[in-house]
Amino acid sequence: MNVEVKTYRKGEIPGIIAIDGQNCRGCDACKRYCPTGAITGMFGATHRIDRDRCISCGQCLINCPFGAPYETVDTVEEVQAKLGDKRYTVAAIIAPAVRVAVGEPFGLPAGSLVTGKMYGAMRKAGFVIVDNNFAADLTIMEEGTEFIQRARHALFGEKAEHGGEIGPLPQFTSCCPAWVRFVETNYPSLIPHLSSAKSPQQMAGAVAKTYGAERIFKVDPEFIYTVGVMPCTAKKFEASRPEFQSACNFVKERGGASPGTPYPDVDTVLTTRDLARLLKRMKIDLAAENNAEGGTLFAEYTGAGTIFGNTGGVMEAALRTAYVVLTGNNLAKLEFEEVRGLRGVKSASIQLRDAKYGKDVTLKVAVVHDIRANIRPIVEDVLAGRSPYHFIEVMNCPGGCINGGGQPICDTGSSWIGRILPSFAWS
Amino acid sequence: MTDSSFILKHPMQVRVFHFILAVSFLTLAVTGIILFQKPLQEAAMNTVIQIHVVAGVVMTLDALAFLFLAFDRVVMFTKRVFTFSGNDLKWFTVLGGYPQKILLHKKVEVPPMGKYNAGQKLFGIFVLVGGTLLILSGWALWTLPHIIPHGDTSMIGTIHLYVSWILILFLLVHLFLGIYMVDDFKAMFLHGRIPYEDAAEKSPLWVKNDICKIG
Ligand code: SF4
Ligand code: SF4
Ligand code: SF4
Repeated sequence: MNVEVKTYRKGEIPGIIAIDGQNCRGCDACKRYCPTGAITGMFGATHRIDRDRCISCGQCLINCPFGAPYETVDTVEEVQAKLGDKRYTVAAIIAPAVRVAVGEPFGLPAGSLVTGKMYGAMRKAGFVIVDNNFAADLTIMEEGTEFIQRARHALFGEKAEHGGEIGPLPQFTSCCPAWVRFVETNYPSLIPHLSSAKSPQQMAGAVAKTYGAERIFKVDPEFIYTVGVMPCTAKKFEASRPEFQSACNFVKERGGASPGTPYPDVDTVLTTRDLARLLKRMKIDLAAENNAEGGTLFAEYTGAGTIFGNTGGVMEAALRTAYVVLTGNNLAKLEFEEVRGLRGVKSASIQLRDAKYGKDVTLKVAVVHDIRANIRPIVEDVLAGRSPYHFIEVMNCPGGCINGGGQPICDTGSSWIGRILPSFAWS
Repeated sequence: MTDSSFILKHPMQVRVFHFILAVSFLTLAVTGIILFQKPLQEAAMNTVIQIHVVAGVVMTLDALAFLFLAFDRVVMFTKRVFTFSGNDLKWFTVLGGYPQKILLHKKVEVPPMGKYNAGQKLFGIFVLVGGTLLILSGWALWTLPHIIPHGDTSMIGTIHLYVSWILILFLLVHLFLGIYMVDDFKAMFLHGRIPYEDAAEKSPLWVKNDICKIG
């Protein structure tokens, strides 16, 4: 763990996942899940993670048969301490994929949707609810309108309203921090293709400490402690990125109380597993909880925010927004079935009429998940200028966040999606 | 002693199968212990697992070849090791008379046995069942750990580990007694034959019921 790292900035957590040499059997299984080739070690020998190549997705952790990979950052105690500190309003930013997984550690059948029980348990623990679905709706508005701007710029030469630069097509989604780091460390020339919209987690943190502090919670933002509750280990890394201090900067710009040390938009992150551990430590049985409401405006959301947790969800939500903005009409049928399902790369063409320019346009979109298996050809096409797509959703984990590295570890596994051939490990 | 006073106990295909099994299993046991303890550097550990894999493939081919080329022998062996009588229980109460013979130089009465004594039958069952489990689990752990649900892979790993330890412990006893019973040892590794008197003493029921004079 003392090896010097080169691809992290000051303040960033340099790698969320490490391998416990005692438990590692050198079986090589993890290498077949790692999207970046970050796992080193010869077959039969203890394996290690090259933190510079690692994108902290946690796929090795949930797929190692021998439980060798572990998280280097345990945030449960810290959150429990903050919940006990009455000066703080502790806001839980709960991702869509958490509510269908957190019931499992409490004995509920896998896949049970427990939004109400989860709200009840978390409010009992002392959290206020900032549902990430609410922020996902914000992300969609941002990402969808950014896409329309890029598309109109590329097709009709439209200029930016305030003279700023407009990014190229295809636009890639940016809500998966593992994917963003994958681009940064493997294909930096593609960074302008990433949507400039922050992920829902980061939007939620900033909104909670600005609008939320002033209008909802009515407390000093320095005393709002935001906790991402995520299906994802990479979100721990994302929260530590130094650029995510928008709320602090906003407060400073408005002449608000300047904190001693700048505070992040998201103070810390619990994975779904961590949340279950925290509730158990606090002797709260989620399964036995009654259904409760979220209790604030931040627990209101649309169906578009909910489907973010699945592969294709972001694209489907963005297309709904783009359709309304471009055509001026509501969609007759909300579902875009073509981008659903577990195929590695899904694509669709949507024909619509841009009401502003009075022209028909055909939008070509693609949805990619399990980047280990599926992303390279897509990226190579974009680099070579031959990509047919205008908008590409990318989620690192097979199946999307629902199968994220922070979800309860399921013994029957789910990451075998698409893997049917044996591998004769050798060196 | 003339040639006719010998009994062919281990025919050629059995001896070849046993020889390859012995060499591959010993190699697997030694490399397996190293893999478990992980005392070596990375490249050496890789070499060890490569040897382990090669020995495992050899053992598998050996077992398959014996199964298909000497199916009658496999059936006979299976039938023999799974056939029990009250004598087997009695054999265990005196442990075949070996501890008394080896440690106290005393001869005790041992119930009459067939081709295999009760201890060998137990070992045979473990070799048959355990060996099959080891082969199947070994292949799964080598080629499919990324496909099989990892809870199952972990269970397969545990089975592989415990069955290996049990067979290694059995093997130590088997090796010791094999060398102690030098005639049987020579028969298995050289010519296949054991002296008639020896067989009549150790496997009287076999000699009485199954052996006939040729020529
Ligand atoms: S899958 Fe687990 S046990 Fe196997 S090499 Fe990777 S970390 Fe080690
Ligand atoms: S966390 Fe993800 S990127 Fe890092 S080593 Fe594990 S599988 Fe590879
Ligand atoms: S797909 Fe979701 S869970 Fe997986 S790394 Fe990306 S954001 Fe995290």
